[in-house]
Amino acid sequence: MNMYLHELKAYRKSTIIWTLSLIAIVVLFMSLFPAFSRDAEDFMKVLEGFPEEVKKAIGLSFDTLATILGYFSYAFLYIKLCGAIQAMNLGLSIFSKESRDKTAEFLFTKPVTRTQVMTAKLLACFTSLILTNLAFILAVLGTVSMVKTEEYSGKALLMISGSLLFLQLIFLGLGVFLAVLLPKVKSVIAVSLGTVFAFFMIGMISSSTDDEALRFFTPFNYVNDYYIIEHLRFETSFLLVGAVIIILSVLTSFLVYRKKDIHSV
Amino acid sequence: MNIMIREMKANLKSLLIWSIGVLAMVIAGMGKYAGMKGTGQTMNELMAEMPKSLQAIMGTSGFDLATALGFYGLLYLYLIVMASIHAVMLGANIIAKEERDKTAEFLLVKPVSRAKVISMKLLTALIHIVLFNLVTLLSSIIMVERFAEAETVTDGLLLLMSGMFILQLIFLLLGSVVAAVYRKSKKASVISTGIMLVLFILSILINMTEKIEMLKYITPFKYFEAATILNNGKLEPVFLFLSVFLILAFTTLTYRFYQKKDLNL
Repeated sequence: MNMYLHELKAYRKSTIIWTLSLIAIVVLFMSLFPAFSRDAEDFMKVLEGFPEEVKKAIGLSFDTLATILGYFSYAFLYIKLCGAIQAMNLGLSIFSKESRDKTAEFLFTKPVTRTQVMTAKLLACFTSLILTNLAFILAVLGTVSMVKTEEYSGKALLMISGSLLFLQLIFLGLGVFLAVLLPKVKSVIAVSLGTVFAFFMIGMISSSTDDEALRFFTPFNYVNDYYIIEHLRFETSFLLVGAVIIILSVLTSFLVYRKKDIHSV
Repeated sequence: MNIMIREMKANLKSLLIWSIGVLAMVIAGMGKYAGMKGTGQTMNELMAEMPKSLQAIMGTSGFDLATALGFYGLLYLYLIVMASIHAVMLGANIIAKEERDKTAEFLLVKPVSRAKVISMKLLTALIHIVLFNLVTLLSSIIMVERFAEAETVTDGLLLLMSGMFILQLIFLLLGSVVAAVYRKSKKASVISTGIMLVLFILSILINMTEKIEMLKYITPFKYFEAATILNNGKLEPVFLFLSVFLILAFTTLTYRFYQKKDLNL
């Protein structure tokens, strides 16, 4: 319990900063929605002058994109980017800081097992992510209902913004796994930013070329927002892959951490 | 000279990893183009009518995706983001690491002035970003050349890469300024990458609406955009001027502050 509270406190400031940044991105993007929806209406009129085939080619995706949910999904891409960095940073930092800050001796001479240490730390990460997500979802619901021009499906909005937690858990798992695996992490941000951006770019390539197979390689595309808007449900196969990654990375981290050679000097 | 050799070695591993990353990015990205070829040609006329914000959301923004170079323009955004992350972290790290790793005393009692230490470090960093740029340039020329049909691509690519190089310089020096000014060495790379991320998100926001167009002078990510560079055949003078100004200002500030810095040991 002491370890849990200590970690929560140690990451309080960073959790607050990340939460506020996520909310700021939502508010900034959504405040531009009124201008965007006017643009979209103008374009609808232009579109009417075009032949039927062209309208068909563009129409389907356009109808989804030009709504407030479509617009939100676009903004959500960059929210996911920030959220992933937050989660990965957290996982990587919390499990590497004892040997980086030379506090390993202090902690591991206490009468607690490695498993207890790890559980407390993981719980602290989880709590901090949950708090971020709660604040984030509230901010989303608030701003979206303020700028909306037409009715939208609240369930879809909740599902999309709720998927942030899912993504964050995957990256938390990856971060924990890397921290436990690497002998020493000198600079947390270098590793986490590199990894997150690598996956982000794979995701961008995969979605701009509609590559289904590539989607499995990047957690960013496990939840397809446009699929949710149309069908109001997640794609089970991708949810499963994500869950497997989370469980596997946490389990192997436990196994490795219990026997890890921790350098204290 | 010794400092340079030492720094060359110390940062070699990260340069290698980044080079492999950017290489994979170019190859995978252009590889995708082979599969995409031929689609989207009919859309060009319609795309021209589309407002900017809609293009951004549909993910096309003014590129002729039917040509190899146009497709490369889409990729360019991610390449410059990668290059900027590498540069900003390199700049912040190379200055801040002496304090972070408690080697500042060792280095600064040597018979070299602080100005010389910074010069050597910045020169090494310069060599690193040049190497990064060359890897990108060569791989891009080879890959785009492979898919290009009767279009000259080398001139365009050279222009794009010189734009990327200026961006790399700006972010490298941004990182070094932060490291020179900020007291806590551990936070230097976090803060400088934070600034970079904010600028990146800002550049995306600017794409969404014409109202905040003025802000494009603030974020270097808007200075050299593939679409404008390729269409005009040159880098925009206003932004070139701004970049030179930023580079000079950041360099002066780095020297100024580091020479007077109260080292935190």
